[in-house]
Amino acid sequence: MPLPSSISTKLILPSMSGQSTTGTVTMSATVSKFVEINSGGSVTLTGNSGGGVTTDGVVNTPLGVSINLGELGPSNTNSFVTASVPLKLRSNAPYVLSMSATVTSSGSTTNKIGPADVGFGLGTVSRTGTGVNTGGSDTNATSGDPTLAANGSVNGTSGRYEFTAVRSNLNAFSSSTTALNGAFIMNAVPRSNANGLVVPASFAIKPQFFENGTTTISVTFTVTAP
Amino acid sequence: MRLQHVTFSLTAVLLFMAFAQSTFGQALDISSGGQPTITGTLNGSVTGSANVTSDLVVTVNFGEVSPLNTNSIVKVTVPIGVRSNQPYQVTVSITGLNNANVEALQASDVGFGIRNMRLLGGAGKVCTQSSHLIRSPFDNDPAISATIGSSGRVAYPSSLGSLSGATVILSGPQLSKNNSANRQTSDGYAFDAILALTPQFFASGVSSATLIFTISPGPNVPC
Repeated sequence: MPLPSSISTKLILPSMSGQSTTGTVTMSATVSKFVEINSGGSVTLTGNSGGGVTTDGVVNTPLGVSINLGELGPSNTNSFVTASVPLKLRSNAPYVLSMSATVTSSGSTTNKIGPADVGFGLGTVSRTGTGVNTGGSDTNATSGDPTLAANGSVNGTSGRYEFTAVRSNLNAFSSSTTALNGAFIMNAVPRSNANGLVVPASFAIKPQFFENGTTTISVTFTVTAP
Repeated sequence: MRLQHVTFSLTAVLLFMAFAQSTFGQALDISSGGQPTITGTLNGSVTGSANVTSDLVVTVNFGEVSPLNTNSIVKVTVPIGVRSNQPYQVTVSITGLNNANVEALQASDVGFGIRNMRLLGGAGKVCTQSSHLIRSPFDNDPAISATIGSSGRVAYPSSLGSLSGATVILSGPQLSKNNSANRQTSDGYAFDAILALTPQFFASGVSSATLIFTISPGPNVPC
């Protein structure tokens, strides 16, 4: 007696209906390294004669300040003209803050203001606030406040004031050079969290018998996550 | 005579299999509930069938969820179809997403909620004596109920971190009027599984996980 093939075909079909008691949702997400630099607040200008802050820093906005240091000749009797520019850094990975600077003077002699005449240093690093990796460490490659006695003095031979400490003047930053590096800055918090790492960048010039003229100093900060 | 006996037995087995298929095989079923969607993503995507008679196989790529993504939240809605001729429950279990670094993406960073239980169509069973219950704490849209915790990290009323083993997220009475052997477009219910992920300063890396939705006999509630 032959197998009733028509029946067997009909019976097998229901098992091919594709019904199931399980389903799957597979997920993936990517977190790339992220770093940013913004203004940490207003610029502080001291010891100036004339001049002023032309474009001030606005906290948590892109850094872009412009400062007129005023008179830098002997008619300015202050010991230093200093500008302190707060920087705010944020990252989800170890970071490196680099800086490059150019100094252009209109004078024609060695007595014009040059990169070595512009003192520079990063001040105290502050990691505070909710969402900040407060336990992270940082390495300051500069010598800090350039006006400190330990960071400069009058050259006994030439009589010119010199910023002598490690990475204490802009001559050390003629090309992109590390100024600060450290551990990741932010814990897992949204970008709307406004906290971060704040560090003041200090610039200083000692008024001297520089060759008369005008000088333009341009500084670029770059933060990366290598 | 011997051949007839064998043939009869085989036919009987096949008939029993067919009976089993029609009575039990489609008694509980889970499928796609429609086209999944994604919003707020940077380089992300979601793929899955819009056909409610297709299996539930969805792939979600949240994309970039570091602060490079400036959207406030990435939201994924996955419609899921369910059918049954008896009381049911839906469970979810998770595999993956076990980052040791607490600053990396964790299960608790992915909001997970259930909303919008609805009839697929006229062949869905409307019961008057029992309701379809979204189990606590999953009855929310995590994309609109996210908050900032004391640590500054985003928190949700329920998340993938709320799942422990096969966790019941939904249960209720019979879902389907008929007892069809095949999925139909209107013979059950659908609900939305909502996933939400806020871009944050997570530690860098790629994370992945799989959710398994299962429908099984549930508490014996009247229809």
